[in-house]
Amino acid sequence: MLRARRRRQIRYSLLVALVPFALACAPEGAKRGEQTLVAAIGGDPGHLNPAITTNGGVHTAAALLYNGLLTLDEDLQPLPELAERWEVEDGGARYRFHLRRDVRWHDGRPFTAADVKFTFDSLLLRFHARTRASLGPALTSVDAPDDSTIVFRFRQPYAPLLQQLDVVEAPILPRHVFAGSDPLRNPANTAPVGTGPFRFVSYRPDDEIRYAANLDYFQGAPQIQDLVLRVIPDPGMQVIALEAGEVDWLFAVPGPDRERLQGDPAVVLLQTTVNPGGSNCVTTLGFNLDRRWFRDVRVRRAIAHAVNRPQFLERVLFGEGRVATAPISSRIAFAHAGDLATPEFDTARASQLLESAGWRRIGNDVREARGVPGIENGTPFVVGFAALPSQAKFGDLLRAQLRDVGIDLRVHPLEPAVFAHTVFTARDFDTAIASYCNGTDPEIGVRRTLVSSSIAPVPFSNMAGYSNPIVDSLFDRAGAAIDLGDRRSLYREIQEIAVRDQPYVWLVETLATRAHTVRCSGFGTSAHFAATARCTRE
Amino acid sequence: MQLVPTVAGIVLVGFLLIHLAPGDPVLALAGEHGDAQYYSFMRQRFGLDEPLPQQLATYFRRVAVGDLGFSYVHGRATLQVIMERAPATLLLTGTALVFAVLFAIPLGILAARRPHGARDIGISALALGFYSAPIFWLGQLSILVIALHLGLLPVHGMTSPGSAAAGMSHVSDVMRHLALPALVLASHEITVLVRLTRSGLIDELTRDHIRTARAKGVRERLVMLHHALPRALLPVLTVVGNRAGHMLAGAAIVEIVFGWPGMGRLLLTSLQTRDAPILLGLFFVVSFTVILFNLVTDLLYAAIDPRVRFR
Repeated sequence: MLRARRRRQIRYSLLVALVPFALACAPEGAKRGEQTLVAAIGGDPGHLNPAITTNGGVHTAAALLYNGLLTLDEDLQPLPELAERWEVEDGGARYRFHLRRDVRWHDGRPFTAADVKFTFDSLLLRFHARTRASLGPALTSVDAPDDSTIVFRFRQPYAPLLQQLDVVEAPILPRHVFAGSDPLRNPANTAPVGTGPFRFVSYRPDDEIRYAANLDYFQGAPQIQDLVLRVIPDPGMQVIALEAGEVDWLFAVPGPDRERLQGDPAVVLLQTTVNPGGSNCVTTLGFNLDRRWFRDVRVRRAIAHAVNRPQFLERVLFGEGRVATAPISSRIAFAHAGDLATPEFDTARASQLLESAGWRRIGNDVREARGVPGIENGTPFVVGFAALPSQAKFGDLLRAQLRDVGIDLRVHPLEPAVFAHTVFTARDFDTAIASYCNGTDPEIGVRRTLVSSSIAPVPFSNMAGYSNPIVDSLFDRAGAAIDLGDRRSLYREIQEIAVRDQPYVWLVETLATRAHTVRCSGFGTSAHFAATARCTRE
Repeated sequence: MQLVPTVAGIVLVGFLLIHLAPGDPVLALAGEHGDAQYYSFMRQRFGLDEPLPQQLATYFRRVAVGDLGFSYVHGRATLQVIMERAPATLLLTGTALVFAVLFAIPLGILAARRPHGARDIGISALALGFYSAPIFWLGQLSILVIALHLGLLPVHGMTSPGSAAAGMSHVSDVMRHLALPALVLASHEITVLVRLTRSGLIDELTRDHIRTARAKGVRERLVMLHHALPRALLPVLTVVGNRAGHMLAGAAIVEIVFGWPGMGRLLLTSLQTRDAPILLGLFFVVSFTVILFNLVTDLLYAAIDPRVRFR
């Protein structure tokens, strides 16, 4: 009897243990088709309207559905998209674009200049923070004299317009869907109608978004028939999903995983300067110039000498990127000054500068103030460092480097909403780090870091609180100049002054690595990455 | 009937916490490149320019008529955004709870049969091990070993990417994706329930009525299952009812690790973007669920234990 009971018991426990595995062994779901591409995205975008936000997640997901008037090539030069040609008139104060006549919206209606005018007037210039802030103040009007012509008029010559009309900066949306509605609550935000290479199929929040090829696409139908954007929040999990073959495309690969993937014959890596949040980004250390420690330029320059920038590239970025040598990214070739006298890594020079500024080192410890204006004698050189959690690694390394010259840096990782508030609104920080994406023109991403008018409670504006009337007026002249040679020399002058005043230390220019399975090929690095791709069966 | 003030209190505390915490939803929403006019324009649109007491009053007025507001980020009704994700979370936590009970009670009985015997020590040690392992680590490890290296289960999500499966094949696809996250989520609960079942049974087996039953010659299996177990399960039931609500929190981590499209992930992303309507809506839904589960537990008590009666 005892044995029978024991047997029953064992049978029961086995049965219970088998439940999850029975679940697991259910037959597999249908395999996906040959021309189905699965791309991983890091979060649920919330909606798919790129004209009412600058959120990188929305743009990454929605760009494939839309077009800009122009697109940008690898060197950021404009190429035709919805506009087939254009003229610059009135010395750069008026731009005339001639639109394609063969473009249709995904719902079959024809695309016209009225859509462009509506998109600028009612969407981009109101809700797209970047276009609103850069184009808004300069623009007088956007007009559609006929169905296939659109004219931009400016108060004065405006140079960077052609770099601001791609699908990221100025996606064009259908007037017939949005007119007369509240754009922030229009149902089309989650069931969009565009002109792009893919059309919308379905949206399962936090799970996946599906697109299908736009067979009538004016630049030719894409070969990929079904595109699935799969939400995978954890970057490490994205890599695992790629290795397991569940995903074909990653927008970014974390540094530590890159080396492993490089050795994987089933995976191809691509490098690009276009990050989901913007392009040509420079990771920058900023001093809060309102703080007494950093009023003396010798202290700022000492820190610039104490920073070993190649180490950041090597240890934090795992070699992905390049050391920054100027305030403007080297990718904006016409404006970047390559031969500036930026402070070299030299701890002896750093110590010398700190001593001369009144920061004495007694023994091997943290420096103390001796006659620093506004700071009580004996105060130790202890300063905070605010960083987004994703950039706290920079702080850890910087802390070690500054320790060598007697500065005690305390790293404070702050989540994005708190970082924006602490650094840019409350200005309650000593030093901070930010990735300033320069974009395609210094007017887009560099101006905001240096002009006094952008000392404002706006994220990623003038973090240092740097104010120099000469720099302000140089920027105004550079933005209005049309001749590239003139602009080059004005930006050169700005960069020389910026390096001399050192409100920032420009650390590294970052790159992003995309990864895809060998099954698929032909990807572009632009927002329309999948328009030219094709896949084969494994 | 304590339900209304309790939920109102929770929503009030949540409202104050969210609005007094540093961080601005408009800054998070607009990101870089905005200008001051843009921020004040957006603030006005969301009603964030009004004084806090007025915002609070507006919010309560709306909640009273069942309107949880509009999400800043999603641009849709809060309730809709939450309800889209609720089924996934309920499926995950429900399955995990069933797994936990299915595993824990038999293991608890096995352990209680001979306290401090080899089997008891083995089960307790195993349970403690699972309890001590952080859930995200357990999740990632199980993905690496079971899904990636052994290839037994999919690594991620609720369905196969781009699958067009429908009907039964869709159900089996979801089940394959569900197995691993539900087991990981259950692992913590199993420990608690095993130990409760075990100690309850050991305690119960020393009671007079058990001695009487044994003296009458009732078989040991019946003594265990019919006489001791039902009463030993009362505390287990309390804990299961209690945990059911709390598992929503544990589910957040599992949802992130396994890419499960549920409410936990919504909570995390909404915290990062300071999407107050969504956060408050989630507080509302979760606290309501917890209270509801407690109510159900109380009712079940009456059904199981003849000593408990509602008048």
